[in-house]
Formats: sequence, C-alpha cells, structure tokens
Amino acid sequence: MPAIDAEWPSGDFLEPAVVTRGLTKRFGERVAVNDVHLEVPAGSAFGFLGPNGAGKTTMIRMLLGLTSISSGSASLLGQPIPRARAKALSRVGAIVEEPSFRKHLSGRENLEIVAAVRGPEAYPRIAPALERVGLAERADDRVSRYSLGMRQRLGVARCLLADPKLLILDEPTNGLDPHGIQEFRTMVRALVQDEGRTVFLSSHLLDEVERVCDHVAIVDHGRVIVQGSIEELTGRAGQQVIVGVDAPDLAIMTLEELPAVREVLPVDGVLKVRLDGRPDAVSELAAALVYAGVAVSRLEPTRHSLEERFLEITSLQQEVAA
Amino acid sequence: MSLTIARRMVGAEFLKLRKSRSTVIWSLLLAVGSVVIFFVWRQLSRHGGQPTGGTDGFWHGLELIGIFIAPLAAVLIGAEAGAGDTGSGVFRDLVVTGRSRVALFAARIPGALMLVCIVVSLSYGAMLAATFAFAGSLPNPSASDVLAGWGWALLVDGAVCVVAVGLASLTQSRPATITVLVGFELVASPLLLQTSSLGHARDALLDASVLRLSPVDLHGAPVVGETAVLAVIVMLAWMVVAAAAGAWRTHRADA
Repeated sequence: MPAIDAEWPSGDFLEPAVVTRGLTKRFGERVAVNDVHLEVPAGSAFGFLGPNGAGKTTMIRMLLGLTSISSGSASLLGQPIPRARAKALSRVGAIVEEPSFRKHLSGRENLEIVAAVRGPEAYPRIAPALERVGLAERADDRVSRYSLGMRQRLGVARCLLADPKLLILDEPTNGLDPHGIQEFRTMVRALVQDEGRTVFLSSHLLDEVERVCDHVAIVDHGRVIVQGSIEELTGRAGQQVIVGVDAPDLAIMTLEELPAVREVLPVDGVLKVRLDGRPDAVSELAAALVYAGVAVSRLEPTRHSLEERFLEITSLQQEVAA
Repeated sequence: MSLTIARRMVGAEFLKLRKSRSTVIWSLLLAVGSVVIFFVWRQLSRHGGQPTGGTDGFWHGLELIGIFIAPLAAVLIGAEAGAGDTGSGVFRDLVVTGRSRVALFAARIPGALMLVCIVVSLSYGAMLAATFAFAGSLPNPSASDVLAGWGWALLVDGAVCVVAVGLASLTQSRPATITVLVGFELVASPLLLQTSSLGHARDALLDASVLRLSPVDLHGAPVVGETAVLAVIVMLAWMVVAAAAGAWRTHRADA
C-alpha cells in the first residue's frame, strides 16, 4: 500500500483534516451532539474520547453524511459537508460501529463490491490492502468463517481501497482479544507515522487513546470538554516528581518553603511532590534539597496519565453542574 | 458517474445476488422446479392418452412462468436486491464511499434483472423442452410463439422484479416485501381481477397488463378490455412508481 500521494494540493496537509463549527444534532427534544467545535490536525492520530452514549458515533455519522446535521458546519479534508461530500469521502475510509460485510461472500469479493462503487482506481488496491492487514491467505474464504478480529482487519482493508488521507474508526478494538488490540494499535501508528495518514479514532478506552493517539478531544453529553495534544492535556495540571531521600521530615520542611511546590505527600517511602508549571521547578527543588543537606537517591519526574486528567476534568464538570 | 463505474456497480449487485445461495436455490425451485413438477404431474395423470405437451402444454407452461410461479421467484430476487444491503449493514459502508445513494439504488435494478432473466430463461427452456418432448400428436408452438412467449415472460417477471426492488428499498425489509407481494400476486390481484363490479378500475392492476400483453390466450384468464398501449403504460407506471419510492427512501433514510 503506497503512502498518500500528492493528488490533492500540497496545501491540504497544512489544513486540519476535520473541522467542525457549532456542530449540533438533535433528535426531537434530545440533543445528542451539542455545539461542537473541533479541529483534527492533519497527519495525526486523533482520539475522540468519551463514555458510551456521549455522542461520539452520532458525531461521526454526521461527518460522513450518514445522518443530517441539525445546525453548524463541518468539513473533511477542506471540503464542506454535506455539499462536497462526494469529493471529501473519495479520500476517506471509515468504519462506523462494527464493520459489516456480506457474509456469504469472500473477503476479496466484499472488497470488490466496494471497489466497484469507489471507482476503477480502487481495484488495483485490493490485493495490497489484503496483504497490508494480513488477510491475503484467507482472502478467498467466506467472511462468515472470519473471526471478529479478521473482520475488523478486513474493515481496515476496505478503508484502504480509498487510499485515504483520513481514516475514521469508531470503537475499532471492540471485541478484540489483547493480541488483536496490540496488532490494531501497531497498524494505526504505522498508518500515521509511516504513511502520513490522519486517523480519527473514537473510543471510550482512555488507555487505548493514550497509547495510540497524539491528539485528543474529550467529549461528554454531546459536548467537547477539552481538546489538544496528549502532552498538553497531561501536562496542563502541573508536574509531579517522585523524590527518594534519606531524611523525609527535613526534606518535607525544605520543600514546603519553595514557591514552586504546591504539595508534598509521603507515599510508600518516597515523596510525591506536585510542582507548578514553571520549567526550572525540578532543578530548583534538587538544589534546595542538596543545600539543606538531604541526600537525594531518586528524582523522577512523572506526568499525569490521561485517565487522571480525564477524571479531573469530568469531576470539575460535575462540580460546575452541581 | 462514468459508464465503467455503472457497469461495475451493476456487476457487483449481480455478484451479491448470484452468490446468495438461498435466493438462487429458492428462485430456481420455484421457477424451474415448478415447471418440471407440473409437466411430470400432467404426464402421470393424463386421461385417455392425451399428450401433455404441444401448444396446450405450452400455454399452460406460459401461465405458470408469466403469472403464477415464476413471478414469485422474481419477487424473491427483487426483495434481496432491494433490502439486502440494509439487512446486512453493508449499505452504510457503501454510503461512506461518497457515491450517490440514488446511484447505489439504481444499480440494484439491472443487477436483479440479470438474475431474473437467467432464472426465467432456464424455466422457459425447461417448459419448452417438456412442450416438445410430450407433444405427441399435438401441434407444436411456432417459432414466433416461442420467441413472443419468451419475451413476454421476461417482460412480466422483470416488471414484478422491479416492483419488488422498489418496495424492498422502501420498506428496507425483505420479509415484509415478500409477504406483501406474494399475498398480492397470489390472492389480492386475482380476486380483484375477477371482481367485475370494479369495471375499468381493474385496468390499473399489474396483472391486467400482464394478461393483456400475453401473446396467447391464456386458459381461464378473465377478459381484460384495456388497450395494449394502456397496458404498457400501466406496467411502466407500476415500475416507475415503485422505483421512485425505493430511490426516495434510499436517498432520505439514515444509513
């Protein structure tokens, strides 16, 4: 499977792959997606993270023109949706919910059906796509004999028929075993890093998004609460350092006097120190301990996991709501 | 959309249908099996050594193919073509290619008609073989009768298939489509045709057009007074209305 070519203007790469402005979907009185402003950087793995029922699939369905937009606007690869939907989707591959196939047909025949709809240029991509997802040897078996993991991979192969600049994957690891999940993550990273494609990955699994994605939007109750790079989000709450010392009481007294230190907690024989965001805070801390005569055996900066950040944000939301 | 893409989309529809074992087996059982059973039964139960083939057998066989059983095969094929993608969940994956939904719908009709043509032709071939094999002392149908009968069978079963594709795309349900159309073909339509108090309103029935356009006088068929032109218009109207309804639903429905 070749990396994406330069058929589209090179300037496209500078534009976000997905942009939404005030995107809203109502089902009668119920608002499933509420005023969503989103920017997915091109060439990134973007996690669309939220609990089940948060509106992730509805958002994807609007982006793909599977359901109408109540208000707001959206564009894929710089093309407005739904006005230029056909052009945009010609370079988009998508798996919405679980991938569906004609089970009485083989994997190859299922791809031939989609290739027929996509156009003549999709036919030569069938064999490389099957090879790419590791299904070349089982391509002529009926899909009814495929495991769920194989069907997921066949779904990705179907996406690759478009030679996509953007892949939209909705909960792609649902039902996969740990080995399948690992394979899938590796494949997604390769699609982004080696082939320069953009992957928009919807998931309710924090760990999955943190491992695979480099940008994330956290969504809840139809609203995007926060978005940015994983680094930004996990670093935004301040820095944490684990400190091992020979005199914990003296170290605590010393550290509590430092302006950069927010909190010091003795935990399991070490000190967990929360610092403010200033860049020289760690070196300031080390210098203060040495100056006070405390022997430092361990000094390990840690960062917040996305899970901690997610819980922090959602608990803040609940407080605001209360 | 280019002709190449259209041709390949129709080929893909045909692939889906011809690989659907249940649809193909049931269609062949109905269309070909019924002809075989019919002639075997006539041969076994004939009275006074009367031959079962010839023109008499040809007329009866034509009724079977054009009016009674083969249209049911056309309904099965049309229903699978119209609702198969939605039922299997594949329709959504075809929509996300960006291809127009109307184009996706439109490809179903020729794809289904290709299979109907094959099934009906096989059925017709079996009927002709029996007609000539069991003709005995009876005259055989002429070449023009054979050709006209074949054309008529393809026309009427094709029309039923198009109606089935449209209705299945509208209801997005294969069972509902089969139930409604089989009930209509086997029960409602014959009853309405026999209800003389309906007068010319009966001309609007698809079966009235089918009978009117028949190349031979079919046994036991009610007298239909409409002109051939009106019969063609009525048949076209059934197909156009059903196809338009199916296209509208395919275009509008959430995928």
